[in-house]
Amino acid sequence: MSNNIKEQEELQKQLRKAALRKNWKLFSQSKLGMIGLYIVAFFLFLALLQPFLFITGIWNPAIYDPVVGYDQIKAELLVIECPKEYPTEKYESYSDCPGPGEVNIKKLYMAPDLQVGEYYDTFIQPAPPSKTHLLGTDSLGRDVFSQIMEGSQVAFVLGLLSATLGVGISTILGTIAAFFGGRVDAYLMRQSDLILMLPSLPLLFIISAFAELKVWHLAVVLGVLGGLGGAVITIKSQALQVKVKPYVDSARITGGSKWQILFQHILPNVAPLALLFMVFSVTGAIASESVLSFLGLLNIDMSWGIMIYLSQTDGFIFSGLDFWWLILPAGLAVTFLAGGFYLVGRGLDEVFNPRLRKR
Amino acid sequence: MAEYIIRRTLQMIVVFFIFLVSSYLLFNAIPGNAFQNLLLNPDLPPDAYEKVLKTYGLDKPIMERVQLYVVNFFKGDFGYSYKYYPKTPIELIAERLPRTLMLFAIVNIVAFYTGFLVGKVLAWRRGSKSETWITVTSVFSYTVFYPWFALMMLWFFGYKMGWFPIGKFLYPEKWYDAPWDSDVIFVLMIKFTVIISVLQFMAYLLTRGIESLTQRRNIRFGSLIAIFIGSYLFWNTGDALTKKPYAADIAYHMILPVIVVTIVAFAGTALLTRTTMVEVIKEDYILTARAKGLSQKRIRDRHAARTALLPVVTSFIFTIVTIIDGSVLTETIFSWPGMGQLLLQSVLEEDIPVAMATFSFVGIFALIAHLVADISYSYLDPRIRIKSQG
Repeated sequence: MSNNIKEQEELQKQLRKAALRKNWKLFSQSKLGMIGLYIVAFFLFLALLQPFLFITGIWNPAIYDPVVGYDQIKAELLVIECPKEYPTEKYESYSDCPGPGEVNIKKLYMAPDLQVGEYYDTFIQPAPPSKTHLLGTDSLGRDVFSQIMEGSQVAFVLGLLSATLGVGISTILGTIAAFFGGRVDAYLMRQSDLILMLPSLPLLFIISAFAELKVWHLAVVLGVLGGLGGAVITIKSQALQVKVKPYVDSARITGGSKWQILFQHILPNVAPLALLFMVFSVTGAIASESVLSFLGLLNIDMSWGIMIYLSQTDGFIFSGLDFWWLILPAGLAVTFLAGGFYLVGRGLDEVFNPRLRKR
Repeated sequence: MAEYIIRRTLQMIVVFFIFLVSSYLLFNAIPGNAFQNLLLNPDLPPDAYEKVLKTYGLDKPIMERVQLYVVNFFKGDFGYSYKYYPKTPIELIAERLPRTLMLFAIVNIVAFYTGFLVGKVLAWRRGSKSETWITVTSVFSYTVFYPWFALMMLWFFGYKMGWFPIGKFLYPEKWYDAPWDSDVIFVLMIKFTVIISVLQFMAYLLTRGIESLTQRRNIRFGSLIAIFIGSYLFWNTGDALTKKPYAADIAYHMILPVIVVTIVAFAGTALLTRTTMVEVIKEDYILTARAKGLSQKRIRDRHAARTALLPVVTSFIFTIVTIIDGSVLTETIFSWPGMGQLLLQSVLEEDIPVAMATFSFVGIFALIAHLVADISYSYLDPRIRIKSQG
């Protein structure tokens, strides 16, 4: 008898492996899904690389720490005097003077001994990209590349935590609503109406006004709001389709209890859609975090949104692309990671929904 | 059906009541209140703060205030704004709402139309190189970090190129000696836009029955030209002629926000249309249409795209619900004085009557739209039946 069970388990394991292999094959056929997977893997690599660099001592935390690090980058600037009228031979307009590697003598009231033509030793912040700082430093002398890594840690923790929580809640509530129907269903649907009625961004403002939001607080808030809101309705409609399948009826006839049917027959068949939903809601969670940090409402030390917020409050975002390393990396990182998760979701969609496949 | 609607309406009233009470409590849970800056003003007598609190009834216990607010709300009395004192929340909403609706109605219509076209083409060219590139671009614009993107566009077109104004609703210096309020001009613009769109839509509907493709196209093109001539005549005669420069000023300020939001918004529709189209193309009747020897374009536009339209339209209904909510960021970045900014400011400044009024406005809007969406589902798709649920 026990031998039989063992054999059965062995068989099940093999079946599961085969299914996994088949799904992977289907997923890898989708070109965009693979691109998304590479993007997500790249950011995951960045997120894991930073602690590794600190532990092995390749990066000195005093210099490379994303929040309190500081690096002195020395520079010699030629002291010049800006002409009174433009255009001259060297400068086309007012904004071209002083050029790169030069400093206007009028700015040097702190060092009155210097004359035009001499060199002025100073520390420049923000410093452009160099060998020691791959993406330069920000206006406080902190390494931008290290900040990007820290930001991707925040994004992964927040995105995955809130998506798991949200999808967990909405899957359970959605299947319950579909399975029991009647009053339970009505209650759950009106509850999600209530959540959907509240404007999301102002609501988060209010919450951030009376609670200092850390990353995981925000993850819980976003997860619960997302899980109680519209996701329940979508999952419910899927569960309704599963509920009328013949195998649910046969399970009921053979005497399965309500909870057994719910958890063993309906839930597993809703799970693929829930997984898909989770991948897509990671995109939303990353975007929400960035928006809130961008508006300066979160109590966290560093994230991509805060990097953009700082570049905006320091006035670099309207300086064009002269300080591109302060503007582009953070914005593109948010965009690419969110896009990467979206593409993975699309690849999974093709695995779970046979009607979307090519043939 | 009637029974269902009645029951839903009763439930909606209960939900709305809970919504009203809980959001009032939520606003009062925020530490501080709208008048605390009076305490910092050394010129005011020390009891001014208490007096003001008493005037606005903020010294009463919280439960009493909730009761008062809810009772007054259902009587139709929303109180006065704390920040813009003599104005009531209704006046403020009436002033701000048209601006938001105008901006986002244009955006949504343009985005829906282009998104649907792009999605249609995407699904049809499945597997080709152009599909990959268009998909990558639409995914980029779908997931782009919106405030960042908007600021970059504002920098490029507003500052670097100088083509468009940097935010705001109008140039104040142009309006110093204007004989009209900006709202008068704006209402005229809204009326004009609505009439034009209705006319165009009518022309589209009337020509739908015409079977010949060239004839249909010619008539539609003719109607478009007629509308252009009509609007030219309208803006160059009588009263409208003097209003034209002011209307042009507002329109000029609208261009950049419309473009930016459209770029971000069209991708969602395009990707959704693509998914539904890909599913539809697998259906048997598409194969039948091919076997009949119909042209590719005809199969795409008449057979596949029509069926694929249903989920896209329903998602469009839900997009309309989120207009005001979604306008918060756009209006903050472009300093567009609409509902989103009103909502945000009132929340941040704890102007509770205005915040409550805007919140309940959004809430009622969302509730009714959900009901309409649920009912229209059952009309549009006979497979979905409203039975005992809900």
